[in-house]
Amino acid sequence: MAALDTPEIETKDKADLDSVWNVVVHNDPVNLMSYVAMVFRRVFGFPREKAERHMMEVHKSGRSIVWSGCREQAELYVQQLHSHLLLATLEKAPNQ
Amino acid sequence: MKIGIKVLEDGGILFEGIDSLLFTMLSQIRPSAELDDPRVEARFYQVPSHDPEAEALREDWKAFVQPDLHSGFAASRETVDADLRRSHEDKTGLRSLLIPRRHIDHWLSALNQARLALSEFHGFSETEMGRQINDLDDPREYALLQVSIYGLMQEWLVSLLD
Repeated sequence: MAALDTPEIETKDKADLDSVWNVVVHNDPVNLMSYVAMVFRRVFGFPREKAERHMMEVHKSGRSIVWSGCREQAELYVQQLHSHLLLATLEKAPNQ
Repeated sequence: MKIGIKVLEDGGILFEGIDSLLFTMLSQIRPSAELDDPRVEARFYQVPSHDPEAEALREDWKAFVQPDLHSGFAASRETVDADLRRSHEDKTGLRSLLIPRRHIDHWLSALNQARLALSEFHGFSETEMGRQINDLDDPREYALLQVSIYGLMQEWLVSLLD
């Protein structure tokens, strides 16, 4: 009988778990405004007005923080945004 | 060129009267999205964070997330290609194309992939994308037309989903 490998367990320190992370969407000249707003509605469940407000912020200011919260959820959102080919990153929220 | 568009009861979309120029352009969605270029690769597979503390995340992303993204993008391109292969040509040389409802998201993705890939490859600026297209024999100008036509189709599909 083969011996079982000890599973590798990744631990996160408390500071990391307590941190707030922002999901940031960045402007790009190719993605259509209507498409970006549609993706916001789908991924975050935003009502149309909120989705369009964030889309306009991305367009005018170059970036918009579309969600803030725990890192794990932020990673999932960024993954979904990447699957729609939006330019998106997660950033640790400042002043913590 | 006059294209007839019908939204079917089951939510599918039927395009009729597609001429050879437009059909050729639609057939180029897949090869355009599959342009082999490091700029295209970097645009499709972004880093998730530039935070210095997120090095492990960047490594995990490359190992676990990017392969999933790769399969998802490829599935959309294949679906679009299959829909185009199933299109029917009439006696006058015009084609009809059916996009089943469940394929609309794949079309949106493949059109977006092609637009982004062409823009990265040719380095189109925002201003350039709004300008008039002159010589279609010039590959760069032709790519600009592709980006524009694919964008119109994408816009239309988004409005349909609204």
